[in-house]
Amino acid sequence: MRAKIILMLLVLLVSLTFASDRNLPGGDETPVAQVKKIIKNVEFRDRTESEWLPAKVSTPLYDGGQVKTDAKSVAVILFTDGSGLLRVRENSILNVYAEIKNRKMNKNTYIDRGSVSFDVKKQEDEEFKFTTPTAVASIRGTSGLFDVVDNGESTMILETGSVELETKTGKKVSLTAGYTASFDRQGNANVVPSSEEDKKKLAQGKSLTTKKVIIKTKFGDVEVEYFPDENK
Amino acid sequence: MRLKKFSLILISALLLCFVLFNQTFGQVSNIVSAVRIGDAKEKMPLSISAELFAGENISGINVVYRPFGETEFKKMEMMIAGNTASVILPAAVVQPPYLEYYLSISLRNGSMQTYPSDIDKGVSPLQVAVSALSSKDREIIILSPNDGETSSLSETLISISFIRAPDKIDIPKTKIYLNDQDVSALELIAGDLIMISGDNLAGKVPLGAKSLKIEVYDKSGNLYHTLTRSFQMVSEEVALAVASRFKMNGNINGETRNENFNSAGTMYSNISADFNGSYDQWTFNGYAYLTSEEKNNLQPYNRFSASVQAGDWLQLKVGDSYPRFPNLIMDGKRVRGFSGTLNFGVFNFQTAYGEVTRDVEGTIIQKYSAGNVPLGSNIIKINDINTPYASVDLGTFSRQIFSARPSFGRGENFQFGLSYLHSKDDPGSIKYGAKPQENITVGTDLMFALDDQNILFTSQAAISVLNKDISGGSLTDAQIDSVFGPNGYFDVDPADVKQIRDIIGKFITVNQNLGPWNPQEFSSLAAEAALSLNYFGNNLHASYIYRGNDYQSFGQSFLRTDVKGINFVDRIRLADNKLFISFGYENLQDNLQKTKPTTTTFQTLSTSVSYFPRMNFPNVTVGFNRYENSNGLSLADSSRNRNALNTINDVTSRFLIQLSYDFNYHVKHSASLSFTTSDRSDESIANLDSKFNSGSFTLNSFWNQQLTSLIGLVYSSSSIAAIPFDYVTLTAGARYKLLHNKLLLSATLSPSFGDFKRQVFEFTADYNLLSNFNLVFQARIYRIPDASTNSIVGLSARLSI
Repeated sequence: MRAKIILMLLVLLVSLTFASDRNLPGGDETPVAQVKKIIKNVEFRDRTESEWLPAKVSTPLYDGGQVKTDAKSVAVILFTDGSGLLRVRENSILNVYAEIKNRKMNKNTYIDRGSVSFDVKKQEDEEFKFTTPTAVASIRGTSGLFDVVDNGESTMILETGSVELETKTGKKVSLTAGYTASFDRQGNANVVPSSEEDKKKLAQGKSLTTKKVIIKTKFGDVEVEYFPDENK
Repeated sequence: MRLKKFSLILISALLLCFVLFNQTFGQVSNIVSAVRIGDAKEKMPLSISAELFAGENISGINVVYRPFGETEFKKMEMMIAGNTASVILPAAVVQPPYLEYYLSISLRNGSMQTYPSDIDKGVSPLQVAVSALSSKDREIIILSPNDGETSSLSETLISISFIRAPDKIDIPKTKIYLNDQDVSALELIAGDLIMISGDNLAGKVPLGAKSLKIEVYDKSGNLYHTLTRSFQMVSEEVALAVASRFKMNGNINGETRNENFNSAGTMYSNISADFNGSYDQWTFNGYAYLTSEEKNNLQPYNRFSASVQAGDWLQLKVGDSYPRFPNLIMDGKRVRGFSGTLNFGVFNFQTAYGEVTRDVEGTIIQKYSAGNVPLGSNIIKINDINTPYASVDLGTFSRQIFSARPSFGRGENFQFGLSYLHSKDDPGSIKYGAKPQENITVGTDLMFALDDQNILFTSQAAISVLNKDISGGSLTDAQIDSVFGPNGYFDVDPADVKQIRDIIGKFITVNQNLGPWNPQEFSSLAAEAALSLNYFGNNLHASYIYRGNDYQSFGQSFLRTDVKGINFVDRIRLADNKLFISFGYENLQDNLQKTKPTTTTFQTLSTSVSYFPRMNFPNVTVGFNRYENSNGLSLADSSRNRNALNTINDVTSRFLIQLSYDFNYHVKHSASLSFTTSDRSDESIANLDSKFNSGSFTLNSFWNQQLTSLIGLVYSSSSIAAIPFDYVTLTAGARYKLLHNKLLLSATLSPSFGDFKRQVFEFTADYNLLSNFNLVFQARIYRIPDASTNSIVGLSARLSI
């Protein structure tokens, strides 16, 4: 009988451990990023093999964590070393990797698809990289937008600072503010001055303006907050 | 540990007994009652404000300042609003270890005063310690909220990162306060991250403006660092409105006050309004200040402006503005008109146009007939048949200015600019004035930087042309024919002179008053170049300046001319930014165009050591300066050399120590202690030897959420030309919040003893009548025993919309 009780308690304890809300931070491991703001539907998961869960403000992201946004949705992500923020635009998947060592954090983000607007502070002797299927960008202190379409082609529009880019064929490209670099699937890079359309994309990438609709029903009011159409 | 704390307090108290203290108040002045200075942090704008009394005597105030290691003082005009003059020093000049400053006050009777007084006789300027960026600020990072952020409760996130903090920090002991309410129990800790989400605050903390305070402790339980931030928690509806594309806010302030000064009572009233709005990347600002001090016979006291800004690329302003061009061209000058900038990165354009001086009519003192007119600089011709001349109190011409600067490059790694400035008095703007002037300045500037501006080179050069009297207009053909030619004073073809006049005359009035006459000696050239290197914890800055004696730009009134030389400053950061060593040397010379009998050399040596420990010990700055001015003459040679009477030979040595310490003893205290001593040896005929000692101690105590107190002591002992002047000022004050923090009462009593006797009492009641409406009553009484009792009593209202 006593053994059964101990066994039941152990099972309960293990169950509680696995059932705990992963939205709640806790424990010794330090998150590498944190969700600062959410518009509409944003999900996250700790590792690629785990299930997607709804994210909320303050959700911690650990090394290898992912963030996914639905249509008309946005997530603002802060890195916990204060190095900057990312605005994950609609229909995007962002992977966050970071290594904390000796009070320094080397960061790498992988964009599966979608757009990520970034505002990164000057990095002293730490790394901040953006990786896409066709290019890797090493960032020191800059702002701009990285866009990855479904076929893997990517575009970087740089608003301030400068970035060292490397295509998947190993070709290195320097990008300065006011220019746009695009990479095709073969790893070819093309750098041109940013067009008016690029500048509009930059502004849209930073926008966090939402609209709210209150639908009155006989069961009560339903509030719907959404991100307005970016193309309008 | 308690014993250690007690020892430190005891040491401070003992120092108090022996050392002299100084802060920014308590100096002798019948114009300025106190100077308040903001928190001086490296490369952060620094606010300075002066509380005034006898405002009706003041026509203008400038703050005169110099960063560590420099001889040359720079000036900025302070804005006078009500009984306060204020200015914000640009971030670039706020550099450790300290900044020296004083106030230069122009009085309406034409005389000048300084605060502290007798700066020209060797009294030390005021010093403000500039703290280096604390490494603690980099160690403990507030990720969220941002300063000034507005968010709904559900979107509020307080998040503090200790990723860069040292191991000795005890993260779980961190205390978080919102408006002094301890919310630490709501903390969630994940590794090196502490956070509180808005959901956890629901029902426990009311909505409204929040002052976030974070106290970080080490593993011994000692307070390690305090961080603060302001933000607002609002309802969902308000948050949506704030997040909407169009935002606006504004304030209206009204004040009326009565000043009784030497039994003369004067009533003042003023009203100011500001408006800020934004739509996407566009921001709009409006400002107006109207005062009863505005008079037609004075330069304007009223201020108004409206501006629009679009991101970083466009800025337009109408009304009063202080456009900043390269400082040799235009800096710190108020322009009433239009200014704007367009920044496209590769190409940029900046311009300003408007009035810098308003016309003020002169007044006739006495009229003279042609036969008995005396000589004098204020004798002018007037439109009167019988008495065509008059001595007048000269008026001021209206002066317009136009400046433009196209530039190329974003300014991150490279920028090249060209500047043009034209300024002219309007001779017809007044009847009784003399010598209207006209000025042109052209210049160029260049900057380039490498390795993220760790290597930075900047340079600028400008030449000026000045016409000192344009009342007669340009030379006529007849005048040229009479002076030039084979039969004239100069054997130059008059046709050539006319051609030159016509070309130059498109830009400036050409007549005999146009200068400089010796341009080949670079008399109207100003140039400077500087190189900064920032490596291995060293910030090395070396510069060279050259300013000819005739250089003058009407856009820059505060530039020292007739000087050239070098300046070298090195700031070294050691021991993980705990130790800060600074060294500066400057060597300047005047008499560039040999316009004086002798050349004076001005040498300055500056050294300082600052220690910013992270705990259990005060921040300490110790500095030494030596100023040596000499023109090579000696009074001993006066029997043989008449010029010896013009001897300049003085040496001033100045030593300062400043300590500041935040500690907990029953409650939290913030203490500062400083001491300055200077000794001037003057071997000139004026023999203005002087000794000056001053010091201060202040202790701010934070007893509870409602009550804070201030105790201060100032000691000053000076001797100028062997005349001693010693005094002590005590200050005791408190601030107390009551009626659910809606009413803030503060009172301060400051008696001074010794050679300077005065008692000052100040009382303020600030009542938050409505959520956006405050009423403030202020009373200040100044009593000079056996002389007078003066007072300022005022009521002001503040409405936020």
